Amino acid sequence: MGREDSGGTPVLSQQLLLSVAEQLKLPLLQIARKAEHARLSGADNSDEIQATADMALRLIDNYALAVRLATEQYQLSLESVSVSSVLYDAGQQLHDLAKAYDVDLQLNISGRFSPVQAHRQGLQAALVSLGAALIEALPAQSAQPQLKLQLAAHRSRYGIVAGVYSDTKQLSNEALHHGRELLRTSRQPLLQLSHSSGSGVFVADAILHAMNLRLQTSRHHRLYGLGAVLQPNYQTQLV
Amino acid sequence: MNILLVEPDRALAKTYAATLIDAGHNVVAAATAQSAIQAADAMKPDLVILELQLVEHSGIEFLYEFRSYSDWKSIPVVVQSYVPPAEFNDSWELLKNELGVQAYLYKPIATLKLLLEGVEEWSVAMHKS
Repeated sequence: MGREDSGGTPVLSQQLLLSVAEQLKLPLLQIARKAEHARLSGADNSDEIQATADMALRLIDNYALAVRLATEQYQLSLESVSVSSVLYDAGQQLHDLAKAYDVDLQLNISGRFSPVQAHRQGLQAALVSLGAALIEALPAQSAQPQLKLQLAAHRSRYGIVAGVYSDTKQLSNEALHHGRELLRTSRQPLLQLSHSSGSGVFVADAILHAMNLRLQTSRHHRLYGLGAVLQPNYQTQLV
Repeated sequence: MNILLVEPDRALAKTYAATLIDAGHNVVAAATAQSAIQAADAMKPDLVILELQLVEHSGIEFLYEFRSYSDWKSIPVVVQSYVPPAEFNDSWELLKNELGVQAYLYKPIATLKLLLEGVEEWSVAMHKS
């Protein structure tokens, strides 16, 4: 398995697997310590433990999907996809994780968007991976007790941009590019963003790349974030 | 005992803080190096528990800043981190001798029980001195 890394393209290799393995230490550690704390104190935190385990399973699932898409073991069936419904479903999957991190996860799908041509499962997996990475990263960057993250879409001159945004300045395109290079050597390739391996960002990157899309930094009104540019399905628009 | 917990992961910080509070300690959690310095200034910690992997400024940068203040030179610091012990070979002497790190706990194997036992030991040692 593998794709040659030029520094500017996503890395799909043992490095990404190692990054996912490092990332999985976090939820496993949380589960182990929460369970121990429950045993010591008698507190019932089974809901939190379940939410943490569910999110870890999604990370593994999304990594496996990225590998399948990239190695063409999976039929990449493009379909006409409603961006709003994908964002809504991604928000549902991220709800419990956001709650555990005191992040106010908002959905901004107020605009009317044309359907886009995409692989629905892949797009949703990319947004969930990205969202999970940012939910974990936001409280590590700021002392603010309540943080906001928005799943949103907007039109740009290049197409419809769907992404994850916050009012804290996130990565620049250069830092993202540099992070892809550092994935080979660093435990913390996205130093400005995340205290962990930030593998959710790289998994999203790999999934989007396999779909011939690109993860990039993006602005949404006054918010900063990461997103993917999607092309409207003009055929559906005519119907 | 006043404990400053420098932990970037909010979910883990909640669990560690709750455990230490249950054991009768006063805990302030900080996620970044900068907020940890501000918290130390406000709370006058007796012990610092520190993760090295932080966003922007690392735990080692925090330690250099922390030790640069005369009031905080002798406050015990325990590193509790994801960084595996094998990767410490080169830097342990620096952390121990120059930056005054008392002990190192590798998070994946350091249970809450082990952390509490360590805190008790450091608390006793502090009162003796």
